[in-house]
Amino acid sequence: MRILNRVRPVPALCAGLLAALMLATAPSLEAQIPAPPQARPVALVGGTIHTVSQGVIERGTLVFEEGRITAVGADVAVPAGAERVDVTGRHIYPGLIDAHSNMGLFEIGGIDQAIDLNELGPFNPNVRAHVAFHPASRHIGVARSSGVLVTVSAPTGGLISGLAAAMMMEGWNWEQMTVAPEVGLMVNWPSPFNQRLYTRGIRQLRDFFAAARAYQVAHAATPGGHATDARLAAMGPVLDRQVPVVVSANELRQIQDAMDWAADEGIRLVILGGRDAGFIADELAQRDVPVLLSSVLTSPNRAWEPYDAAYSLPARLHQAGVRFAIAGGSAAAYANRLPYEAGAAIAFGLPADEALRAVTLRPAQILGIDHRVGSLEPGRDATLMITTGNPLEYSTVVEQVYIAGRQVDMRDAHRQFFERYQEKLRQFSAEEEQVVSP
Amino acid sequence: MRIRLPLILCLLLLAPGAAQTQTTPVEGLRENPPAVHALTNARIVIEPGRTVENATLVIRNGVIESVGADVNAPPDARVWDLTGRTLYAGFIDAYSEVGMRTELPEADAEAGRGAVYWNPQVRSFVDAAAEFSPEDDDALRALRSQGFTVAMAVPQLGMFRGRTSALSLGGGTVADRVVRSGLAQSLTLSRDREVGGTYPTSSMGAIAFVRQTLHDTDWHARARAAYERDPRGARRPESNDALRALVPVREGRQPLLVETHNEEELLRVLRLRDELGLQLWLRGSGGEYRMLEQLRALDAPLILPVNFPDAPTVEPVEEALNRSLAELRHWHLAPENPGRLAAAGVEFAFTSHQLRDRGRFLDNVRHAVSRGLAPEQALAALTIVPARYLGVERTHGTLEPGKVASVVVVEGDLFRDDDAAVEAVWVDGERFEVRPPVGADPQGVWAVSALGAEPLEGELRLEGTRPRLTGTFIAPGGEVRLTRARVAGDPPRVEISFPGEVLGVEGTVRMSGRVTREEIQGWSELPDGRRVSWRATRVEGEPASDGAPRAERAAGSGGAAAGTALALSDIRPAMEFGRERLPERPDHVLVRNATVWTMGPQGVLENADLLVRRGQVIRVGQGLSAPSGAVVIDATGKHVTPGLVDPHIHSGVSGGVNDVGNAIVPEVRVGDVMTMNNIWTYRQLAGGLTSAHVLHGSANPIGGENVHVKMRWGAPAEELKLEGAPRTVKFALGENVKRRTGRYPDTRMGTEQVIRDHFQAAREYEAAWREWERGRQRGIPPRRDLRMEALVDILNGHVQIHAHAYRQDEMLMLMRLAEEFGLTVFAFHHALEGFKIGPELARHGAGAVVWSDWSSFKVEAYDATVYNARLLNDAGVLTSLHSDNSQIASRMNWEAGKLLRTGVSEDDALAMVTINAARLAGIGDRVGSLEPDKDADFVIWSGHPLSTMTRAEQTWVDGRRYFDIEEDRRLRQQVERERAQLIQLILNER
Repeated sequence: MRILNRVRPVPALCAGLLAALMLATAPSLEAQIPAPPQARPVALVGGTIHTVSQGVIERGTLVFEEGRITAVGADVAVPAGAERVDVTGRHIYPGLIDAHSNMGLFEIGGIDQAIDLNELGPFNPNVRAHVAFHPASRHIGVARSSGVLVTVSAPTGGLISGLAAAMMMEGWNWEQMTVAPEVGLMVNWPSPFNQRLYTRGIRQLRDFFAAARAYQVAHAATPGGHATDARLAAMGPVLDRQVPVVVSANELRQIQDAMDWAADEGIRLVILGGRDAGFIADELAQRDVPVLLSSVLTSPNRAWEPYDAAYSLPARLHQAGVRFAIAGGSAAAYANRLPYEAGAAIAFGLPADEALRAVTLRPAQILGIDHRVGSLEPGRDATLMITTGNPLEYSTVVEQVYIAGRQVDMRDAHRQFFERYQEKLRQFSAEEEQVVSP
Repeated sequence: MRIRLPLILCLLLLAPGAAQTQTTPVEGLRENPPAVHALTNARIVIEPGRTVENATLVIRNGVIESVGADVNAPPDARVWDLTGRTLYAGFIDAYSEVGMRTELPEADAEAGRGAVYWNPQVRSFVDAAAEFSPEDDDALRALRSQGFTVAMAVPQLGMFRGRTSALSLGGGTVADRVVRSGLAQSLTLSRDREVGGTYPTSSMGAIAFVRQTLHDTDWHARARAAYERDPRGARRPESNDALRALVPVREGRQPLLVETHNEEELLRVLRLRDELGLQLWLRGSGGEYRMLEQLRALDAPLILPVNFPDAPTVEPVEEALNRSLAELRHWHLAPENPGRLAAAGVEFAFTSHQLRDRGRFLDNVRHAVSRGLAPEQALAALTIVPARYLGVERTHGTLEPGKVASVVVVEGDLFRDDDAAVEAVWVDGERFEVRPPVGADPQGVWAVSALGAEPLEGELRLEGTRPRLTGTFIAPGGEVRLTRARVAGDPPRVEISFPGEVLGVEGTVRMSGRVTREEIQGWSELPDGRRVSWRATRVEGEPASDGAPRAERAAGSGGAAAGTALALSDIRPAMEFGRERLPERPDHVLVRNATVWTMGPQGVLENADLLVRRGQVIRVGQGLSAPSGAVVIDATGKHVTPGLVDPHIHSGVSGGVNDVGNAIVPEVRVGDVMTMNNIWTYRQLAGGLTSAHVLHGSANPIGGENVHVKMRWGAPAEELKLEGAPRTVKFALGENVKRRTGRYPDTRMGTEQVIRDHFQAAREYEAAWREWERGRQRGIPPRRDLRMEALVDILNGHVQIHAHAYRQDEMLMLMRLAEEFGLTVFAFHHALEGFKIGPELARHGAGAVVWSDWSSFKVEAYDATVYNARLLNDAGVLTSLHSDNSQIASRMNWEAGKLLRTGVSEDDALAMVTINAARLAGIGDRVGSLEPDKDADFVIWSGHPLSTMTRAEQTWVDGRRYFDIEEDRRLRQQVERERAQLIQLILNER
């Protein structure tokens, strides 16, 4: 009784041509070549379409044009001139969204020069992740191969770290890749384990917000008469509730105090981390504060908590009616693990469709990008994947992804290593045979 | 009852020469205050269990002359009426840092001075008496306030810290104080930063270091003797005073006193004692009650602190979340440690060591008494037991005639009355007042009248605790509240002010008066400047017997009043999810109707049964039957796999996983320092892990020896070890070993050289010994070097090499180096670039222990690929996964699941966390597959073991059900219940 659907990777799908081309011409490890914009309509026919927002369509058809989905349904006609791709026996899912990552800002640990996460000083609301996003990072392709097609890249330093950006995982430069440049202001809530520093940190935050508010008023009152302060000026959209504040808070007291603070400041709050969120799920639900869970595959916060405290947290939040997304551990190199984070939640009680939602539509809604990504509906970006099964299951293979309609090269850095050293294996075993039978 | 010295002894005591025991010449006039005292009307506890009421104790020239109910005060004695007091023999603090240095500001200047050991941590030549500074007056006073009259001073610097001395806590020069010297050599098992040196940095390194130092002691003695017999032609061996000072320890003539910091360390020390043949004394930690079973037969003197923890902070409510059950339990149970040990028949002496406030010592002893320690046992632990340990039982420990006149005078019964307090101690016949009498209590109602004609008549009402009082003055003109009222000093003096209107004067009346029991003699100044003498007599409010306000001396929270004991289950480990006993091992277990992944020749069997007998697999097959009485588990729809094996974790190692001080440390053994108090063991069981290879860290080109464990949650650390597992050693290459500044190597080139050079040295070491053993054994004998011995074992193939490596070049380097020495690298761990040299690994015969998908956390981890395991497998390299991480070790099936996307088959993927992992840890003959005669370590999964939707439902080790998802639910409730109960107790005791 094998529940795993072992499907041989299909050589079909146009990636083959490109891959063969690269194998022939690129002996060294290369960043994958970004695809051109979608030139003509594409119709994926015969697959099981998991729209997330509108249920599941068996043997459906999904059509996209110029990077946008134009039709989804069981009896959708393939438009004239469209490329028709037969995906019978395959599944179509929206791209997964890693709702908190250092993708594009981090390449190699331990090397300062390869990391752009922490700007100097405690207050950096003006720094923006998207302008530093490294489009040729090796980690992008690896994550894509797991179906992670959108990442919310965020700076991490100080008290106010800067602005996170929603980025699509394909393109020649960050400009092309930006889905939304300022989806959240990242705040590190102070650590409650030193009462003095905790109180001081919160006071600093309050003071900064008060100064920012005064600055907006002064600017409005005396246009041009007030010298610019880049930091305070950047706070406008946050104070106007256009941009939510994403507060990193794991400990119970941090979450409580961040909620009170946000209510006081009249700003939109998203809790990031949320390790203790289960203790106040009822309050989070009642105040409708959304949570980006940092990791499911992680340790209980305390020795006395059950071994599955983190694994079962999504299920508990779901039962309590909390809006949440599963974000994974934020490391760019491990963004490919996002589906497994959500999968573990299923083993520990979260309904499977909720787990899928927690890495697609939920993060899109929480961060205000659901009009572009997170579900398969007409009008949304054609950012989707074709798989052999549930993308949250280990045995499933992601065969092809499209990002805003672009058909993506699936030969990521890991795959290239594989092919290169398969060649070494071939050469060495040939050599061995020669030695054995001269 | 009357006890008398034999007459002849009395005469000796009376002889004039008896007082002359010091060499210090007298400057000016001699001082000879009366040296004869009679302590009368006291309750005298001569020794534990022997008390005389209303008795007299006579002291002559510092020695007890007689004691008893019918003893009369000699005519030449100064008489002390001690009605209401209890006398005990002077207490002995069996472990004290009093007068010892804890800092060594001149450490740098002292470096290299003297004929000492290469490692400054060996200060065995230090003598506590020589080290003692009598300037430490506060500490001496504090100790006396707790009844101590003698303390064993223990030098505090270094690891081998020097010899201890029993010192009197009275007055005089250091020479006057020494009761007995050279009692024991003191040792602690962690490096003292104060004295410097770079090795050892870990607990396991400390144990290895102790072994080597004691072996060096042997060698040094032999080498010096050989040289002194015949120096001709021999190179002069070092002459080392530090090693010389350890000879009595090595020969078992002097005890080694080891300071332990937890009960597991204590067990480690006992094992070391057995290994090295030492005479041992132990300073305990206070956690011994958690290891009572192992300590029942303790045969070494045990010195016990009473450092009971303060109540954990549980408010605000949120803060209580951060209190572990282990911490809450220890808070509650620590005061029972002495009582439980005594009940188990373990003897001990007390020490005030480790108390933040020495003044809390007796409070805590009383607390221990209130929690089960018999008062006689408490007294014994303060008197006769330490006297015997210190070898001073002929002079100290009881109040028998002939013994030193060291006496504790207590108001009340020290062990039964909460507010009993030490009033004075006599040390060697000299009296030290601890608590001056506080004088009469002014509380009550007093009738005041002026001695002259001035208008100062009325009633004074005083209440409150000193020094602050409140009260009223009632005069013919009415009642008024006192604006000021306090009492201070001895004799006590009250100060009172109130508005004068009630006396018909305008302004503030100020009064002052000296208080005695029934009377106040006073003086005052009226607002108009008139001065008035007055007198008050007590109308009501009889004070306590001596007028001492009770509140002042009431014990703090540690007092005997505290503690309604809670009946907590006795669990191992003594923490969350601990259990009262190991799960039982049924004779037969039959798991039925499962999909069984045998990972052996039988492959995967559907609808199959697994039969287990006494901890071992008997058969896997269909339609098996079990003898009656077997535990039968219906596993229809479930999957059964062998217990998962992780060939590389660091979980459960106490005191550091690296000894970074030296580059080459194979003498260090992880197995020396395993702990059972490791919540990960339980969590890993919950994820199906049953065995693991616990490795030394990666800071050393040649690190320490590793250990294999089974997840026997609840078993003592020593029993976690997998019996009969092969010896393995950790090597490390690349970034981790070269990044330590100031330590060779700094490059991969140097790494190759330092390993090569040590291999070479070991060959030469082995040859030197062979030659010595073959030859006539003349001249200087070779030194036994445990580091070299370990290397020789490696070179002779007795120890598997497990090498941490990332890059292909360094792996190739080590293989070629090993081949030169005729060795095979057993496995490369991490082997992040293993995929690049699969054929070379296969040809050498090295296995690869890799991650599923770790990447890019440092430069040497950048060329990572999730296809690593796949490519290695394809190349014919024996390959497995590892976690190197406690959390990941608790879900290794999911790590294997990740390989499916790379094209690894399900069987191969699962093998990489079972049979391959077992083989690569060198334990494939015992675990890793479900085959006849292998250990019954298996997991029952809710579904396919490689699915994200699956979880472990039962995990069996050695045929015992160590994890059960149903039992887990009960344990959770138990954890929550106990936490709640303990928190309530904390609230109640405030």
